[in-house]
Amino acid sequence: MPAGHGLRSRTRDLFARGFRKKGYINLTTYLRTYKIGDYVDVKVNGAVHKGMPHKFYHGRTGRVWNVTKRAIGVEVNKQVGNRIIRKRIHVRVEHVQPSRCEEEFKQRKIKNDQLKAEAKAKGVVISTKRQPEGPKPGFMVEGATLETVTPIPYDVVNDLKGGY
Amino acid sequence: MAFVKAQKSRSYFKRFQVKFKRRREGKTDYRARTRLINQDKNKYNTPKYRYVVRFTNKDIIAQIVSATIAGDMVLASAYAHELPQYGLKVGLTNYAAAYCTGLLLARRVLKTLEMDEEYQGNVEATGEDYSVEPAESRRPFRALLDVGLLRTTTGNRVFGALKGALDGGIDIPHSEKRFAGFNKDSKQLDAEVHRKYIFGGHVASYMRMLMEDEPEKYQSQFSDYIKAGVGPDNLEEIYKKVHAAIRADPTPKKSDKQPKEHKRYNLKKLTYEERKQKLIERLNALNAAAGRDEDDDDDE
Repeated sequence: MPAGHGLRSRTRDLFARGFRKKGYINLTTYLRTYKIGDYVDVKVNGAVHKGMPHKFYHGRTGRVWNVTKRAIGVEVNKQVGNRIIRKRIHVRVEHVQPSRCEEEFKQRKIKNDQLKAEAKAKGVVISTKRQPEGPKPGFMVEGATLETVTPIPYDVVNDLKGGY
Repeated sequence: MAFVKAQKSRSYFKRFQVKFKRRREGKTDYRARTRLINQDKNKYNTPKYRYVVRFTNKDIIAQIVSATIAGDMVLASAYAHELPQYGLKVGLTNYAAAYCTGLLLARRVLKTLEMDEEYQGNVEATGEDYSVEPAESRRPFRALLDVGLLRTTTGNRVFGALKGALDGGIDIPHSEKRFAGFNKDSKQLDAEVHRKYIFGGHVASYMRMLMEDEPEKYQSQFSDYIKAGVGPDNLEEIYKKVHAAIRADPTPKKSDKQPKEHKRYNLKKLTYEERKQKLIERLNALNAAAGRDEDDDDDE
């Protein structure tokens, strides 16, 4: 029989629930709220059959563009041939998690605003740009003793033991 | 003892998936809970309130609860053990007491939300099906009944509590199918019978029956009633007074008693520092003992 390319083909492991994590869905997935413009990760929950995205979108991150009664509309990038299309899919909330991709950025924003406010109060000019790690600073080697290594004269008897 | 083959191997435990804690305790029905809590996503943070009714052996607990990720938040609560303040001393877990508790909770909630003037509810407790009508300025307070793990049979006390809350002025979607007095054959609610239950009529008729047939059983069964001076004829009066008292002042009264110090039955959990300290002491003791043993060995 031929392979078959149905909607959920080749998803035996992808959509499977984790080891010892089968059964109930914990309530926080239903209690979270999503606003338009949030970033979310799409991660399929095999226990809920409705509102599943296609397997391509499993593991993708996109932005919320629509919120309905039980589902979220997510805009995901997909490469088709030689271009990337922004695809809009609707996914039930069980298959969506809030993404942490912006978390570091938002925290840095807050910290930078704080630093800038302090600098302004003191009248100091600071740069809040991130710098890449530069080369390590030079240092003197301490506690070094010199050990001179010389070759020892070839000793026939010892070196040929066993194979003579 | 005879050799018994081990039933649960190590691999059984390794593969065992525990159910949620409250399911293991047998307290929460998660299937019902997910459906009660789930709020439409396009309503964002609007809370969805559930009217929780639970019965213990000696008490009735009625609460209005909304769920958050941190935990459930209780908006208002009413207990049957508060009813003595309103004049009901005995029979705190029967259908009529459930009605009173529901009524108390409803009036309390409406008072805290300052809606109690608008939504008086059904002041005259007839047994008829009553649903709150929306008033001009605000829509009625809506909650969903959460029975927990109860079997929902016709005439269950939980529906007495439901009726109390409805008559108090809360909007709870319901049907009259499970109220006491619903006739399965004619598919109609007999309001008279329901009213009898709300005012403890079923208890009164049992009391009358026992007084005639088995006086000793009457003494043993209703000893508290007799001590409080409550007979089958004054029951209705008492409940009417309690309803009026509840409507007059539903605010909860703070108890002045200090919480009792309970005897500790299990060992107190040690802090990190305490555990480290214990370990150091144990090691020292071990080293000292080992040192002594070595000396003994060397001497020998």
